[in-house]
Amino acid sequence: MANAARLGNRVDAGLLIGCMVLSLVAVVLKEEDRAPIASALRRTIVAPLVGLQRGAERWRTSWVSSEQRQAVIDSLSLRAVNTVALKSENDHLRKALGLGSRLEWGFVPAEALHNTVPGTDNLVTTLTLTAGSTAGIKRFSPVVAPEGLVGTIQTADPTMSIAILYTNIDFRASAVAADGTTFGIVYPHAPGGSGSEAYMLELRGVPTRSTLKPGTVIYTSGLGGTFPRGITIGTVLQELKTSEVWTRTYLVQPAVAPSHITSVLVLTPQRVTQGTGNVWGATVNADSATRKIAAAGDSIARQAAALEAQARAAVLDSVRRATADSVRRLLGATPPVSAPVDTTTPRKPITPRPDTARPGTGRIPPT
Amino acid sequence: MNWAGTARTILVCALMILMQYTVRPLLAWRASIDFLIIALLLGAVRMRPGGAAVYGFLLGLVADSLDVGGFGAAALGMSLVGFAASWLKAVFFADNLALNGFFLFLAKWAFDLIFLIAGRHAHGAELAMQIFVWSPLSAAVTAVAGVVVLSLLKPLMDVRTA
Repeated sequence: MANAARLGNRVDAGLLIGCMVLSLVAVVLKEEDRAPIASALRRTIVAPLVGLQRGAERWRTSWVSSEQRQAVIDSLSLRAVNTVALKSENDHLRKALGLGSRLEWGFVPAEALHNTVPGTDNLVTTLTLTAGSTAGIKRFSPVVAPEGLVGTIQTADPTMSIAILYTNIDFRASAVAADGTTFGIVYPHAPGGSGSEAYMLELRGVPTRSTLKPGTVIYTSGLGGTFPRGITIGTVLQELKTSEVWTRTYLVQPAVAPSHITSVLVLTPQRVTQGTGNVWGATVNADSATRKIAAAGDSIARQAAALEAQARAAVLDSVRRATADSVRRLLGATPPVSAPVDTTTPRKPITPRPDTARPGTGRIPPT
Repeated sequence: MNWAGTARTILVCALMILMQYTVRPLLAWRASIDFLIIALLLGAVRMRPGGAAVYGFLLGLVADSLDVGGFGAAALGMSLVGFAASWLKAVFFADNLALNGFFLFLAKWAFDLIFLIAGRHAHGAELAMQIFVWSPLSAAVTAVAGVVVLSLLKPLMDVRTA
């Protein structure tokens, strides 16, 4: 029994030594000698394991590449989102730049930070501007955007200022319609309200005789001295039913969306005094000119029609008199006692209705 | 060990070898699990030391055939580890999982030591880094995996038979 165990131990030791010797021989073999052995093993016994390992590594590679692809897609999506925001901001800044170049002078550019009113549905009623009194901003200075009127300065600190938007309950602006004849006062439609109505305006105090069609553009009138004439406020949507008898009230869609305001221009008092001219399209002046041209055209047409009628009447009169004289001569009748009509004397010209046409165009040519 | 036990052991060892060439490349950890060591120890404790040395030698040759350099180093390491595991099987694979994990850790670390030195895979600071940082980490991960495998296969395998 002991001999068997001893023999077993010797066999074990022999096997271990044999394995170690073979291993050491494999270790010390030259590269060109061991490569064929390894290659033979890979092609025969280990071939299935090599296939498994290759497949697993392919899975791993495809998994990693899929993750990388997904990361690239995510990055591109993020860039696309940022691009849209940047494009929007770029457009806004270009417009602001364009407005600045049209104004030329008398304004202070500023960035706008939105402030919401607590308790409301994120209603934006004030803006914090990154420019203050040291830049020339004063209280009640108009705040404008490329689209039109934004609000007015409420507080001007040295380095920053706070502006109230047209949504603020304290906002008022004297306004005029595009025809230049209809005036009113613009108020917030639903101050402190919620939803889209809180961002609408009302044009109140419009005389009953004046009717504004939907789509009519409303501008600041320049009355009151706070806002210069010609800044776009918005467009008329519809008339509102009120208890007022002598005045009308209209719902106005503001030209400027508060959510899009990121940078604004603040007009200086000197610029307010001297006006802004045609910066916002000056549709008021253009409409007046259009009306004048149309009126002049109407006057000319009326004068031409009157002249044509007079000429036709003169011809008919001459023909009638010539025919009567011929008949009388044929019948040997004496001419009538009544004095002959002097057709050589020019008739008194028919003056056209007074209008804006050029003088001297209403004369009748001598017959 | 009866035939059923032998068959189960062969099956589990084959499963470990398959996992070495499927799961390990998928994980691709820097300190990776060595399923071959687990397979070696699972088999070696059920053999005589000489048989365990041969088993380790064969497993090492399989590993060496896929290694570019150091052919024979894994065979040498696994022969020694297999022989030692079989010789120490009275302590190894006791009912204490923590002890089994500790011996798995020692086996893997010893194998890496032999493999790195005999195969001349690294030198100097890199060798020290490999021996004292990455090898212990890999041994720890292997020990954890081995303990998990032993826990899962405990009802299947008769570890006291030998």
